[in-house]
Amino acid sequence: MSWARRLFSGRAPAAAPAQAPDLFDEAFLARLELLQVVARRVFRGRQRAERRSRKVGSGLEFADHRDYSPGDDIRGLDWNVLMRLGHTLIRLYEEDEDLPIRIAVDVSASMHTRGARKLRYAHQVAAALAYVGLANLDRVGLTCMSAAHHRTLPALRGKGRIFRVFEFLRGAPAGGPTDLRAACARLAAESAQPGLTVVLSDFYDLDGAFDGLNLLRFRKHEPIAIQILDPIEARPALAGLRGDVRLIDCEGAQAADVTLTPATLSAYADAHERFCEHLAQSCRSRGIPYFRAEIDVPFDELVLRLFRLGGLLR
Amino acid sequence: MILAGWTVTELGLLFAGGAALITALYLLRMRRRELVVPFAALWQRVHRQSDARRLWKHLRRLLSWLLQILLLALLVLALGDPRPDHWLREPVTLAIVVDRSASMGAPADQDPGSPAPTPSVQPQDPRSPADASGSTAPTRLDAALARARAELLALGPADRALVLAAGPEIAVLSPLSRDPAALLRGLDGLTSTAGEADLPRALALAGHALDGQPGPKILLLTDGALDEPALAAIATCAQGPVPCAIHQLPGPAANVAITAFAARRYPGDRGRVEVLAELHNLGPDPAPILLEVLADGLSVGRVELELAPGEQRRQLLPGLDAARTRLLARITPKPGADPALLGLPGDDLAYAVVPPLRPFNVALITDGTNLFLEAALLALGDHVQLSGVPVADARPDHPALRAADLIFVDPGPEPLPDLLPADKHLIVFDPWRHPGAASPIALAREVPRPFITEQLQNHPILAHIVLKDVNIRRGTTFSLEPGDVALLRALGEPIAVLRDADPSLIVFGFDPRQTDLPLRTAFPLLVANLVEHFERAAPGFVASVPVGARRTLEIAAFGLPAAGVTHVEVTGPEGPQAISQRLPVEDRRVRLRATEPGIYRMRAEDGPDPDATVLFAVNQADHSASQLHDRLPELSISRQRAPADPPAPAPLSQGPLWTLLLLLAVALLALEWATYHRRWTV
Repeated sequence: MSWARRLFSGRAPAAAPAQAPDLFDEAFLARLELLQVVARRVFRGRQRAERRSRKVGSGLEFADHRDYSPGDDIRGLDWNVLMRLGHTLIRLYEEDEDLPIRIAVDVSASMHTRGARKLRYAHQVAAALAYVGLANLDRVGLTCMSAAHHRTLPALRGKGRIFRVFEFLRGAPAGGPTDLRAACARLAAESAQPGLTVVLSDFYDLDGAFDGLNLLRFRKHEPIAIQILDPIEARPALAGLRGDVRLIDCEGAQAADVTLTPATLSAYADAHERFCEHLAQSCRSRGIPYFRAEIDVPFDELVLRLFRLGGLLR
Repeated sequence: MILAGWTVTELGLLFAGGAALITALYLLRMRRRELVVPFAALWQRVHRQSDARRLWKHLRRLLSWLLQILLLALLVLALGDPRPDHWLREPVTLAIVVDRSASMGAPADQDPGSPAPTPSVQPQDPRSPADASGSTAPTRLDAALARARAELLALGPADRALVLAAGPEIAVLSPLSRDPAALLRGLDGLTSTAGEADLPRALALAGHALDGQPGPKILLLTDGALDEPALAAIATCAQGPVPCAIHQLPGPAANVAITAFAARRYPGDRGRVEVLAELHNLGPDPAPILLEVLADGLSVGRVELELAPGEQRRQLLPGLDAARTRLLARITPKPGADPALLGLPGDDLAYAVVPPLRPFNVALITDGTNLFLEAALLALGDHVQLSGVPVADARPDHPALRAADLIFVDPGPEPLPDLLPADKHLIVFDPWRHPGAASPIALAREVPRPFITEQLQNHPILAHIVLKDVNIRRGTTFSLEPGDVALLRALGEPIAVLRDADPSLIVFGFDPRQTDLPLRTAFPLLVANLVEHFERAAPGFVASVPVGARRTLEIAAFGLPAAGVTHVEVTGPEGPQAISQRLPVEDRRVRLRATEPGIYRMRAEDGPDPDATVLFAVNQADHSASQLHDRLPELSISRQRAPADPPAPAPLSQGPLWTLLLLLAVALLALEWATYHRRWTV
């Protein structure tokens, strides 16, 4: 009787709830270990790690000499120079530190449509980035954000903590409208130390899509925008939609009566493309890396190839 | 319109219920489906750009509903099985007989109230009115075809019809059928023929075809210019069991026809011909016309004539320069005369073939001493074949005398033969040399040393010669009888006489041997004039073959060898549409039927001279075929006239109407399907 229900209800069937996925298999995790997150800037870290920093200290790579001052550790004295020249110089080494990485996942209702495929895809990308960070001894924190929910996983360190990331993503709430500006403002306020901030969202926010990213940049973060797109939603003509429909926004905005014709569908696809291009142009104009990730692109291909091409991984 | 299926009430209830159901379903269909989207703000922005077309969207919805209602209306109407009223009458089987005789090619009366039928003849057709009068006036046949088409278009779905064309031969244009398209196709390209229509056979065939058919009816389309057999056939048909209606197609009766046309070549001048044409004014008014003779398209002779009403005139055109053997006679109105007076164009043309000169047999009964006369005869043309016969052998059964066309009797000192052939032309010299001779002319008296004092100068026998000073030793004069012409006189007494009868006789009252005439240049001229005179008297004209019924003709009349020929091939008329037919020859005769005027070719397939070929002309040459007067009033029986106005065409002539409605509904359905999938309708 589904046809009768459809006839008299007039509403399209609701999307099936997202199932808890097995986000990564072993082979994929092994390949991720070979990658490293490329930091565009070198940040001050709290603990030693494998990432070169501006801090001169007890690292392995020689950096410079300076005159000995009372109180310096004599283990840093350059005995060869002292014996040949008679000068007391202290050897300075570059100190390797960790990278603070914050991964923000948009969990608004717009990411939850059509079986929450975009949200699942965003979870996979976030988990992959977190694993890469953890495997390189960086500090990785996660935030799930929307206008209704805001949950943060404090920074973790070490590859063994990836399972906490999985648990956090599985238990993250979802729903609510998209408000990237407010979410980013709260994210910036929570982060005492600026770092690499990856924002995973569809950016379906006509007003605040770019403002949130700009706010992070203003707070000395290095934001990276990854726009998760569903090709069916970007080009609804692919779904074969026709006829008179009442479009209801999943985030509760005003409904619109639309007659779906090939011309209308084509006009929407064009408008969607212009919206994405405007966002990308805004990001590039302010030095914010922007990536477009369509969910029909296999996940491993995105992580292994597109991120390399974009300079996020090496 | 009558509903043979469901009643109006039932149909109304069904339509109302169906319309209500369609409307309800349509309203349900028009409820918008709710669709959850992630980015409705962007949809609204796009939607605002197309608000200008909102009115068209409303109209499009209404159009879709109207299409559904119209579809329902067609289906409901199909259930009613509507039928026009005339479908319910009894079926009719109609036989249309179209008269395509020559007279049907004449112009028809123009009824100012009715649309003129379209002329069907081609402008290049020499028999068309356009060719003769310069106008494209519709002919009677055009009017007949228009009426036939109207009758066929008025047939109901249960009616059937067949169409016959009655010319010299009968043609079934369309067999018995109820398909108007097939019946109408049969009328395409029908033209009038030369000759009379064989209406007796056509009406008999129509009657037999309708035998046993429901509602039989014969409709004869004719102009009324008919011959006796046709009138008798109409009378028989009118009294027969099948109703026979006549629709008359009147037209002007004025007509001038060439009823005979022939030509022959001068024996002494082969580059010239003599033409005989017979003209007949069949109209009620005087006809000023111009008769023109053409050879290979060039005019070789013309004469202006004024024919009185009903006048039939034979016109001789002598001495025309024409080396060709094919001649065409054409009559046209004089400049300023009414072209309509010529009437039927088919009889304004006539063809003729100049026959070849046949040998002219001359026999000379002589004692063999007049070498001058023999030399003068031998010096004539090749066609003159001379045979000498001794005086002692000169009997009428002599082969040379029996075959001779002209006999010279010049016995000299011997007496005249006792018995001269009575059926041959004779030229006798000095018949009364011996008293008691069997002279064909009476003796007046014997004259010693006569001399010629008077000469009939204008006579062609004495053309170009003068005999007044001829020395004659002795001679005799003759007593004239009524009709005799004295060619030469001696002191008023006839010494040379022409008795122009059948056969003719010329008698000279002196012996050339006893004169100095053979020594003069006038002598061979006189001999040549004598022979030519009788040659011209011989019938050299060959009559043309009339079109129409099959005729038995002697092949010898055309110049073919009479014996031994078993088959001939006749091809004609000359032109791209010539037809060949192989005909058997029985008893030296062939049965030939020619339907088109023109020049024909006859070839002997065997015999003593196989492949011998002769030409002959076929002309209309029929007074009755050229007669355009309405002869239907001569019928004493009461006949049924068809209504003057053509019947109204049937609105629908094939198949039940409900099938058309269903087809229309299917077409609408297809239209709605196509427009829906192109989002033109919703």
